[in-house]
Amino acid sequence: MSTIPGMGMVRGMGLTLRRFFAPKATIQWPEVHADVAPKFRGRLQLLYDEYGTLKCETCFQCAQACPIECIDMGGIDTKGRFHVHWGPPETYGERREESALRRSGRPVADHGYTRFEGIDLGPLDAILDAHDYDPGDMLAILEEAQAEYGYLPVAALRHISRVTGAWYAMIYGTATYYRHLRFEPPAVTDTPPAGTAQRGIEDGYRSALDAALGLGGRPS
Amino acid sequence: MATFLATPRQWPRVLTGRVDALAANPADLDAAVRAGAFEGLRKAVRDLGATGTIATLAASGLRGRGGAGMPTGQKWRAASAQPADQRYVVGNGYGADPAVHTDHALLSSDPYAVIEGLVIAAFATGATRAILAVRADDPALVTMLEGAVLAAEEAGFAGEDVLGTGHAVEVTVRPVQGAYMLGEETVLLKALEGRRGQPEQVPPYPTERGLFDRPTVVNSIHTLAAVPWICREGGAAYAAIGAKGSPGTALVQLRGPAGGGIAEVPLGTPLRDLVKLAGGTGPRPLKALLVGGPTGGLLPAELLDTPYEFDALRAAGAHLGSGSVVIADDRTCVVDLARLLTRFSADNACGKSIPCRIGLRRLSEIGDRIAGGRPKPTDATLLGDLAHDIVASGLCDHERLATLPFTSGMRYFRSEIDDHILRSTCPAGVCQPIAVAAGAAHRDHA
Repeated sequence: MSTIPGMGMVRGMGLTLRRFFAPKATIQWPEVHADVAPKFRGRLQLLYDEYGTLKCETCFQCAQACPIECIDMGGIDTKGRFHVHWGPPETYGERREESALRRSGRPVADHGYTRFEGIDLGPLDAILDAHDYDPGDMLAILEEAQAEYGYLPVAALRHISRVTGAWYAMIYGTATYYRHLRFEPPAVTDTPPAGTAQRGIEDGYRSALDAALGLGGRPS
Repeated sequence: MATFLATPRQWPRVLTGRVDALAANPADLDAAVRAGAFEGLRKAVRDLGATGTIATLAASGLRGRGGAGMPTGQKWRAASAQPADQRYVVGNGYGADPAVHTDHALLSSDPYAVIEGLVIAAFATGATRAILAVRADDPALVTMLEGAVLAAEEAGFAGEDVLGTGHAVEVTVRPVQGAYMLGEETVLLKALEGRRGQPEQVPPYPTERGLFDRPTVVNSIHTLAAVPWICREGGAAYAAIGAKGSPGTALVQLRGPAGGGIAEVPLGTPLRDLVKLAGGTGPRPLKALLVGGPTGGLLPAELLDTPYEFDALRAAGAHLGSGSVVIADDRTCVVDLARLLTRFSADNACGKSIPCRIGLRRLSEIGDRIAGGRPKPTDATLLGDLAHDIVASGLCDHERLATLPFTSGMRYFRSEIDDHILRSTCPAGVCQPIAVAAGAAHRDHA
């Protein structure tokens, strides 16, 4: 503990100067790997594309992979449809946003409750019970939940996550991958027959192939 | 009920041999048993035993009909050698190629061949759970298959006690849908585990760590349907059919100007015979054969004598793939066709690996550029380099093979691609913007 004022500054600058004159080393990555501390995780950075829009697709894969669970995400999904969230709402990302709101003097909604619409969980519990709350049956659970509600409400995904113990990010990742699973009520209320979600892309391929071969008009 | 093209009488019918007997009702177990169903299982269980069955499979030389051509016996041996508390057998009947209906045809004409193959595979590898993954598109087929599995269980061909041996095989039919990539084995396993359908790096192969991290045999249903025949008739009889390196038969979806359909052909049949089977080339000359579906290669007319089998096709720059053979006559533009196929592959990429997600997109964009009349002079080189890099750094076979339309196009139809790039003309007259923007103007001044 120094008693002379400014001594800390001198010491710090001393270190800077020592480093400044120390020989420089170029590490031939990837052949040679730098020696990093075992807990080093790098710096998180969100990248923007050439149009200035965020490249992040909110896929949650980083949040899922993060070993110390320091990543939290919240916002509107990339298609602007509904609120997606990873991590407890009180972590800093949303809290910072919220504190800015509060400082502005406007009334602040409690997003913890208004984020998504509530649903009747009864039928969902029956589905989960039939599958023994087994995350290995996730696809079947999601398909049946969609058949029940017409789409996959966020509340349903959160409930499935809570009772099966599967991460919300995993469930969300599964549900966004398969074309027949959707997150908004369909325009037509009837349940579409199986395979409809892919039919567009497959019919498109067949007719384009026929057109390219000069076989237009004939079914393949 | 699917119909098959009539093939020459001397061609063996391994997969479609029972189709006529089951024409009235494919799910009729008694009729199937009268026609020889479950005899292979009986022989495997009673006479051969697990190791004997695998040895018979290895002797038959059967190779996986899913596209890659992995020897089936080797796969089963690897799975059975792996110590585990639980093993799985998965029959892949997803049939991802939208223009190929062989999976549907096989399942709807002879479901018991596939079920018997599944049970034999489970018996030989020591698995107690067998899963038949099919497309969810056709609910009638799914119901029929579930009924067929139930009937087989009641008759003692599957279920808790297979033919009184005490070996249990629980067969489940799992309808899957929602992604093209489900045809890839590790993706299908992910879907069966209820996870995002993205391929896993191999090795470890599924035979080591597959479904729920247990050793898993994933076979195409075409492979499984041949297994009962092999057990019944012996490995040597099967090895005698077809080509030396790839014995047996395969279901092929043929399509051409004069018609087409599904036929069972012995492997090693020259492509010329397949063209004949599809009704010939029609009034126009044949320009190219698209062999292998959306990720297939374009083979020129000079290669019509290439035998239809794994190794020869791969050497020629195509592959067996989905079992599709499409005849393209001179109305087809190679660039147009290749960019269409590449676009389909890019649209259906799962996005896990960057060479696939971005590389295939760039490939199809280069194709669009060439076809749209705005090529860069270096585009031919760029195509070749990019395709090479994708193949070198790919994660699964989807991306590695999705480069085939362009690489085979560059290999056999280079002059046509050069016409597009250097002379702004499309010899087939398909790529319109070129003719309008540059070609027509040049011709007027000449």
